[in-house]
Amino acid sequence: MAVVAAEAPGLVPARRRRPRRLELRVGIGLIAAVILACVVIPIVNTTDPNALVAAPLQPPSAQHPFGTDTVGRDVFIRVFTAGRLDLALAALGVIVPLVTGTVIGTVIGASRSRTLDVVAMRFTDGLIAFPFMIVVLLIVLILGPEAQIPPLPPGAASVLAATWLVNWTTYARLARARTHVLRQEDFIAATGLLGYSRPRIVVRHLLPSVSPTTATFAVADTLGIVALIAALPFLGAGIQPPTPEWGSIMYEGRGVLSQAWWISLSTVGVVLVLGTGVMMVVDSLISNTRRARLT
Amino acid sequence: MIAVLRILLGRVLQIVLVALFVTVGTGALVRLIPGDPARAILGSRASPEAVSALRGELGLDLPMIQQLGESVAKLFQGDLGTSFAVRGQDVLSLILPALAVTASLAAVALVFSIVSGVGVGLWLALVRRPEADLAGRLVMTVLLALPGFMAGLILLYVVSVQLKLAPAGGWAGSWPGNARYIWLPALALTIYLGSLIARAVRQAALDTIGEPFVQAARTRGVPRSRIVLRHILPNAILPVIPLVGLNAGFLVSGAVIVESVFALPGLGAKLLEAMGSRDLPVVQGIALITALSIVVFNLLADLANIAADPRLRRSH
Repeated sequence: MAVVAAEAPGLVPARRRRPRRLELRVGIGLIAAVILACVVIPIVNTTDPNALVAAPLQPPSAQHPFGTDTVGRDVFIRVFTAGRLDLALAALGVIVPLVTGTVIGTVIGASRSRTLDVVAMRFTDGLIAFPFMIVVLLIVLILGPEAQIPPLPPGAASVLAATWLVNWTTYARLARARTHVLRQEDFIAATGLLGYSRPRIVVRHLLPSVSPTTATFAVADTLGIVALIAALPFLGAGIQPPTPEWGSIMYEGRGVLSQAWWISLSTVGVVLVLGTGVMMVVDSLISNTRRARLT
Repeated sequence: MIAVLRILLGRVLQIVLVALFVTVGTGALVRLIPGDPARAILGSRASPEAVSALRGELGLDLPMIQQLGESVAKLFQGDLGTSFAVRGQDVLSLILPALAVTASLAAVALVFSIVSGVGVGLWLALVRRPEADLAGRLVMTVLLALPGFMAGLILLYVVSVQLKLAPAGGWAGSWPGNARYIWLPALALTIYLGSLIARAVRQAALDTIGEPFVQAARTRGVPRSRIVLRHILPNAILPVIPLVGLNAGFLVSGAVIVESVFALPGLGAKLLEAMGSRDLPVVQGIALITALSIVVFNLLADLANIAADPRLRRSH
C-alpha cells in the first residue's frame, strides 16, 4: 500500500498484500470464546440455572457476576447455560437448510430443463416473500408449545421446523447462481465431453465449488438465526420458560429494565461478542482485497 | 424504456404470484392450527348446535379447497374478508391502524438510515487518518452484529431510563404527539440498516476515487469539495437503492419485533391478538399485507434504481 501511495500521493488505488488475516483470527477467537464459555462455565460453576440462590434483582457482584433476576436466579449461569441451547439450535437451524438448499440449487442450476428452472425459481420467490416471522409464529401455533423433539426443550421443534421450511430457499438461489457461472468454466465443459454422468458431475465437480459460496453465507446466517430465536419471546413464542434461553432472559429483563439493567444487557453483551466475531469472519471471507484511498 | 417495461412486467407478475402463494399458504397453515375458531369465539359453554351454526355462517364447514378458493377469489376484488372475532368487521379496516404504526416506524427508520449511512460512509471514505478509518470500520462491524431489538434494549436503558430523553415505550395515538415515541425505536432499526448503508457507501466511494475520471478531475485542478460532491457522491449513493430494496424484508420484520420491545400498537401486536383469538382472516390479511409491502417496496427500489442510474437504461 505504501509503495503505490508514495509514487503518486493523492487519489490512487492501493492494494493490500494480505487479505484480512488478522480480522479472521480475531473473529474466530471471539466466537470460540463464547462457545468455550458456554461449554465450560456450566461445568465449572455447578449452580442450578433454575435454583433460587439469592434475593431477586441483586446487582452484579463477585458472587453473581451478572446479578440475579426477578425471582433470584443467578443470571451469569443462566446466560451461559442458555448459550448452549441457542448455539445448538442456531447450528441445527443453519446446517440443515445449508445442505438441502445447496443440493437443490445445484441440481436446478445443472439441469437443462428450462421449465424446472422457472417453476423452481418462482416457488422460491414466493417462499422468500413470505414474512419469516409469520411463518414461525404460525408453525408455533400449529405444533403447539408442547411439541417436543426429545433432547430439545419445548418450543424448539417449531422454531427448527420453521427455519428448515423456509431458509433453504436463499441457499438454493445462491447455489443455482453459482452453478450457472461454473457451467461456463472449461473444467465443467470437459466433464461433459468426457461423458461423465450428470450425478457424477453434480456431486464430484459442481458441489465442491458451489459449497464455499453457500457456506460463507451460512456463517452470516447463523447470527440471523440466533437473533430470530432470541426475538421470538418478544412475540409470545419461542422456547418456553423456565428453560434458560437468551431471548426469554432478555424478555424477562425488559420488564424490569429500569431497576435491573443487568438481566437484559449482560445477555445482549454476550450475544454482541458472538455477533462481532461472526461479522469479522464473514468480512474477511468475502473481503474485496482491492482498496483505494483519497489522501 | 424496454428495460423499464420488462422489469415492471416481471415485478407485477411476481406481485400476483406472491399474493396467490401467501393467501393459499397462510390459508392452509392457519387451518392446521388446532382449535376451532367458532368455539374460540363462543367460549367453552356454548352449545354444540350454536357452534356448528356459527361454523356454517363463517364458512368453516366447507372443504378446505373451497375455503381457499373463495379467499383467492375475494382477494382479486380487493376484499380481505371479514373478521371472525370482531363480527362483521372488515379485515382491512381492522389492520389499517396497526399497519400505519408499523409503516411510519419503518419509514422514519429508513430516512434515518439513509441520511446517517450516506453521511458516515462518505466521511469514512474521505477520512485521511488510518486510525479513524480502522475505528470506524470496527464500530460498524460491532453495530452490524447487533440485532434491532437488542439495540432497542440498550437504547431504552441508556436514553429512556438513564438520560430520560424519551418515553420508555408507548404510543400517543395521534400525530405530532407520536413523534416523541417513534424516534427511539426508529433509531434501534437504524443501527443495523444505517451501518449497512454506510459500509456500502464507503466502499462505492473508495471504488469511485480509483476511477480515471476522478484522477482526471484532480489533474485538471478541480477543488476537492467539488470532486467529492459532484463526482464521488452521485456514484457512492447508487448502491444504496438496491441495498434498501434487498433489506425491505428485514425492515418490516425488524419493525414488528422492535415494536414489541417498545410496546407500539403495530402489526406485531395485532398479529398476536389475532392468533390468540383464532381470527384466521386477520392473520391471513396481515401475512398478505406484509408480503405484498415487501414486493412492492422491491418494485419501487427497481424503478428508483433505473431513474437514478442512466447506464441501466442503455444496457438492455
